Amino acid sequence: MGTQHVVTMLPGEGTGPEICEAVRMVIDASGVNIKWEYEDIGLDCLEKYGTLLPDKTVQNIAKNKVALKGPTTTPIGTGHKSANVTLRKVFDLYANVRPAKLIPVLKRPWDKIDILNFRENTEDCYAAIEHMVSDEVAQCLKVITWPGSYRIADFAFKWAKEQGRKKVYCVHKANIMKMTDGLFLDAFREVAKKYPDIESGDIIVDNCCMQLVRNPAQFDCLVLPNLYGDILTDLCAGLVGGLGFAPGANVGDGCAIFEAVHGSAPKYAGMKKVNPSAVLVSGVMMLRWLKEEAAADRITKAMFAVLDERKHVTYDVGGTATTDEYAQAIVDKMHAKV
Amino acid sequence: MPTFTETAKATKKKREIKLVGSDMYIITEKGIPKFDDIGPFKCEFISNRGTKVWPGFVSPDLLQVNWYRCRFMATKDVQDADVNTFLDALTKKGWWWSAAQKLWNYDGEPGFSKAY
Repeated sequence: MGTQHVVTMLPGEGTGPEICEAVRMVIDASGVNIKWEYEDIGLDCLEKYGTLLPDKTVQNIAKNKVALKGPTTTPIGTGHKSANVTLRKVFDLYANVRPAKLIPVLKRPWDKIDILNFRENTEDCYAAIEHMVSDEVAQCLKVITWPGSYRIADFAFKWAKEQGRKKVYCVHKANIMKMTDGLFLDAFREVAKKYPDIESGDIIVDNCCMQLVRNPAQFDCLVLPNLYGDILTDLCAGLVGGLGFAPGANVGDGCAIFEAVHGSAPKYAGMKKVNPSAVLVSGVMMLRWLKEEAAADRITKAMFAVLDERKHVTYDVGGTATTDEYAQAIVDKMHAKV
Repeated sequence: MPTFTETAKATKKKREIKLVGSDMYIITEKGIPKFDDIGPFKCEFISNRGTKVWPGFVSPDLLQVNWYRCRFMATKDVQDADVNTFLDALTKKGWWWSAAQKLWNYDGEPGFSKAY
């Protein structure tokens, strides 16, 4: 056993706990040494703590600086703030890293998609500055700052360079929002000068959407303000097989939280039928963050092999396996290859 | 036959509006502002880029810019003129503010968001 990592596990609600248990089983079987510390988050906390994100959870994440999170649900139109957004705000997790890569066995109409999205995670219309400025007019402030824009671009270029990526493009609407998106683009261009070996450029968000669905292979790395990032990362997930296989990481200067981006599917809770792959591939991202590349590779290969065989896959990819059976098949495949 | 615009405008409901405070957008290079009560207005929270920075826990890693939203709530019934007096007092205390946004309740419900 190598270095022990202490990781906060946030199972979330709905199908989250059963997914996270399956993922934990796979990660623990990969040979990595992780001590998991479980904490509560989400709707189930409301009755117990009166909040979606208890202080105890915040303190544990602050201590461990890395967490794996299951799905949570944000109530629509109620007074409760999203636990996800609160986490990003409290820990200033400014970089939402959302890879979109084709999984070989999932039949898609494209030969190649390998896009790394870097979504700014703390600003834009997510600054929660909303007012009813008259009895028939609502207003939401779109807050874009120079340092907030600069650091996400810098983060993206650095990550891209480390991964051997070739192109980083800024997605914006600066032709219309000349102050806000204009500032975001200016900061991006300033950062790009520091990375002369990487091709940089920009694309207007609506054109980017059209190009993504026509010819996604042309894109490499994208840097986006928060709201466009929210939308385009889900679009990219749809291109490669849906949210069921989409990993995500929320990274700040002092902390990283890895999470699936799909919902908690409460109607399936306890049925152990949902696909845990999104949390699993988020866990794989976490392992790479922890420099556990061998374990990450082992899980990825085993998962692809199980998907390829189609004998032990969940209903969403045409199988009948339960969450646990799918996870066990990945574990068995890892052990078979040792 | 009314147009869609006319139909939409006709749906407007009458709502009771009550002034309850003001958000002040303060520019300062000196970090998180501190305020004493100013007349009937009491500072309830301060946020930066939408994240609450006072009162309570602030991550040492949190990026803060020089623009703070400071929420002042009225501690008694106030009128628009009280906001004018409040703005004068704030200016005289040396605070440089970029904008003020009055806070109203509509039919008793807040017409403004809280900070994260």
